[in-house]
Amino acid sequence: MRFYLQKVMFYVVAFWAALTLNFFIPRLMPGNPVDVMLSKLAAKGPVTAAARHAVELLLGTKTSEPIWSQYWEYLVKVSHGDLGLSVTYYPATVSDIIGQTLPWTITLIGLATIISFILGIGLGQLAGWKRGSWLDNLLPITTMFQAIPYFWLALILVYLLSSRLSIFPLFGGYDVYGAPPGLNFTFIGSALYYGVLPALTIVISSVGGWMLGMRNMMVATLSEDYILTAEAKGLRPRRIMTAYAARNAVLPSLSGFAISLGFVVAGSIVTEQVFSYPGIGSALLNAVQNNDYSLMQGIFLVITFSVLGANLVVDLLYAIIDPRTRARA
Amino acid sequence: MKGPKMLLTSQRQGARLGVALAAVVAATALATAGCSSGSTAKSSASSGKSQITVFNGATGTIAENFNPFSPTQLQPTSGVIYEPLYYYNLASTAAPKPELATAFKWNADGTQLTITTRPGVKWTDGQPFTAKDVAYTFNLIHKIPALNTSGLNATATTTDDNTVVLTFKTKSFTQEPQVLGQTAIVAEHIWSKISEPAKDINKNPVGTGPYKVKSFASESYSLTKNTSYWETGKPQIETVRYISLATADAASAALLAGQVDWMSAFLPNLKDLLNGHKNLAYVNTPALTTSLFTCSNVSLGCTGPQTDPAVRQAIYYAMDRTQVNKLAGGGFAVPASPTMLLPDRDKAWIANPDDVTAPQSADTAKASSILAAAGYTKGSDGILQKDGKRLSLTVQVVAGYSDYISAISVMATQLKAVGIELKSTQLAYNAWNSNETTGKFQLTMDSIGLGASSSPHFTYSPRYSSANTSKVGEVAASNGNYARYSNPKVDAAVAAAAATNDEATQKGQYAIVQKEIVRDLPYIPIYVNSTLTEFNTTNATGWPTNENKYAFPASWKSWDNGIVLKELKLVK
Repeated sequence: MRFYLQKVMFYVVAFWAALTLNFFIPRLMPGNPVDVMLSKLAAKGPVTAAARHAVELLLGTKTSEPIWSQYWEYLVKVSHGDLGLSVTYYPATVSDIIGQTLPWTITLIGLATIISFILGIGLGQLAGWKRGSWLDNLLPITTMFQAIPYFWLALILVYLLSSRLSIFPLFGGYDVYGAPPGLNFTFIGSALYYGVLPALTIVISSVGGWMLGMRNMMVATLSEDYILTAEAKGLRPRRIMTAYAARNAVLPSLSGFAISLGFVVAGSIVTEQVFSYPGIGSALLNAVQNNDYSLMQGIFLVITFSVLGANLVVDLLYAIIDPRTRARA
Repeated sequence: MKGPKMLLTSQRQGARLGVALAAVVAATALATAGCSSGSTAKSSASSGKSQITVFNGATGTIAENFNPFSPTQLQPTSGVIYEPLYYYNLASTAAPKPELATAFKWNADGTQLTITTRPGVKWTDGQPFTAKDVAYTFNLIHKIPALNTSGLNATATTTDDNTVVLTFKTKSFTQEPQVLGQTAIVAEHIWSKISEPAKDINKNPVGTGPYKVKSFASESYSLTKNTSYWETGKPQIETVRYISLATADAASAALLAGQVDWMSAFLPNLKDLLNGHKNLAYVNTPALTTSLFTCSNVSLGCTGPQTDPAVRQAIYYAMDRTQVNKLAGGGFAVPASPTMLLPDRDKAWIANPDDVTAPQSADTAKASSILAAAGYTKGSDGILQKDGKRLSLTVQVVAGYSDYISAISVMATQLKAVGIELKSTQLAYNAWNSNETTGKFQLTMDSIGLGASSSPHFTYSPRYSSANTSKVGEVAASNGNYARYSNPKVDAAVAAAAATNDEATQKGQYAIVQKEIVRDLPYIPIYVNSTLTEFNTTNATGWPTNENKYAFPASWKSWDNGIVLKELKLVK
């Protein structure tokens, strides 16, 4: 019990530290939201000198208030689940914007990360089990794809598969012309179809790492004495591979997986830019470009939450998979 | 991938493919894509449900907001859904075009504006539009400071169903384009029930414009034809869809694939891109004078060599503008005027014929002699110096504005020939913008143009008058006098011109302004940058052309969009 309490306490402190950083970092950026909104407005048409006053009134910016009382107000609001109003998308609330965008990102990047992990672990396990087989030749190829900068790979694939061959759509999360959002087959089918290429690029560019790590761990585990014992006992090879070798070999990859799951939210900006995908990454980019403190804080909060949450889950899972971690604590 | 196969309108194709792909494998989808693209292109043309797709620069998720008073309103709100009283075409010298009003008249003092409203106009909910709505709109803006982005100081009364009288506290001739051309008229019977007009997102806007909202999703929204629009026979296109794209690359790919009908993006290789696409066209409406803004005024806290007018003049003459245009502007830019007006449109306002355009080739001899007369001598490294200080300047530019960045590197080479060192620093938009408004720069790359109307007042008053500037370190009025220029002669002339609506008097006063600013050059013009707008003529024709600029065609421009959309014609 003490083990779990310690863990939870650690996460509470980490969460508070992250909240504090979320608050202060955006405010270190040059400029302020009113100026940015005015100059963006000026790009669409004339802006008079009086506009500044009106926009300040509208946004209710309280830059005169001391930063500590702003900080306190922020903590109180967050504890009530109130993330404030977005400046970029005024008067929409930060929760609305996150609610609109997060599902896209989680589904696309989350699924792609899981697929990539399962595929990489599976292939790595087989490659380690059957050393020297054709599977080993796959390794340099997947590692090469991982070495290519992600945005470049994605652009090339868009050019070839979407622009030239028209197999996949060029942009967006679904067919905005013919499939209005809703729980029906047309929309879900469309969303799946539009997600294939972005997901494919993520899988291609990340599967190599999982595969390589798993293969090498497999090789190391297979030389352990207990594997020899299992073989001597006459266990079926499949059982040795999965329950004896793979279960132990997967442990280091699992913690890596937790971290990459946590970064699903943060790591999606490039993907969403290349594919004009309607996720949270582009919302974050817009927030940064508009000095939208509330929206930045909100999205950072989501990132913090997902990283810490994923780590917590894996920490607890670890204790189940590997009893040693529990015993030492 | 040339020819008709690229012209996927993709209405049903995407959906069909999606289902196919969910069930089968990618290989089968390839075959489906091949045949379905050809067939949809034909079927959409014959089905009679005309639709065009607009990319207006929206990136990322879209938040619903059709409030015409909100600074974050979706762009078609002003002009397409809601209409102004008059339409001011910044692409031409034409007189304002009557929209919701049919006539207006100032009293001699410029304190009372009488507006005659258009009879027979209906709101999209069927209620009639009257002068009361116009009066209500202006009184609402006057009452709630958060809505008053134009500094309007007027109250309105109606004298009959078609007449509104606006009463201003002071002489207000210069408010005319704001009042008539930049204010969306809203319905009294709707807005009087809205409790917080500044914060409302106005989900189901009731306007008078050619289109009304059909559906909204955070990735895309569409407008549908207002069947009871007051101008008979307009609009013709059934549906207008607005989409969001992340980058210019995505936009140009979508344009070539026939998935976007109207967009404005600077594509340096546009002519090559459009080769072989007969249905794609573009129009170039240069309107913004790209310039080097200088922090020019020592008494307001500016530092650096650019505070010396001789240096600014030397830069002005040392530039080879033809070369800059060719290498950085894609050859689409046109000559600028040192008066900062548009040589083409505003010729009548430029007093001295020598000031119509800036020199297009470098005059290094003149630049060198100006600098020599000002006491600059050549240093050992070839860069001029004065009092032991090298003539070295830093220009700030937004990272990612690739045409600006290449223009600076071209100019750096050109200025080096006369012994001026030009260095550039690339900043994020926010930092660049913050430096510009607070005057923390030596030179900054920006542009001037697109005022409320084509009157020189909207260039000279914000950019050159002392009232719109502030000390370095303090924020200057937005889009104001960032150069920190302050000249009593200019201030007096701008004020005198604003106090009358007699064009001859105004010309005389603006001549004084021009004489001062052409000599002082707080903003050093480079060229009038292109505004490229790309069209697809498959689904609609009647887009503005170089010969007929009936509206400023950029897809991001408020007000003008409504005019373009109602002029579009169905393809027979």
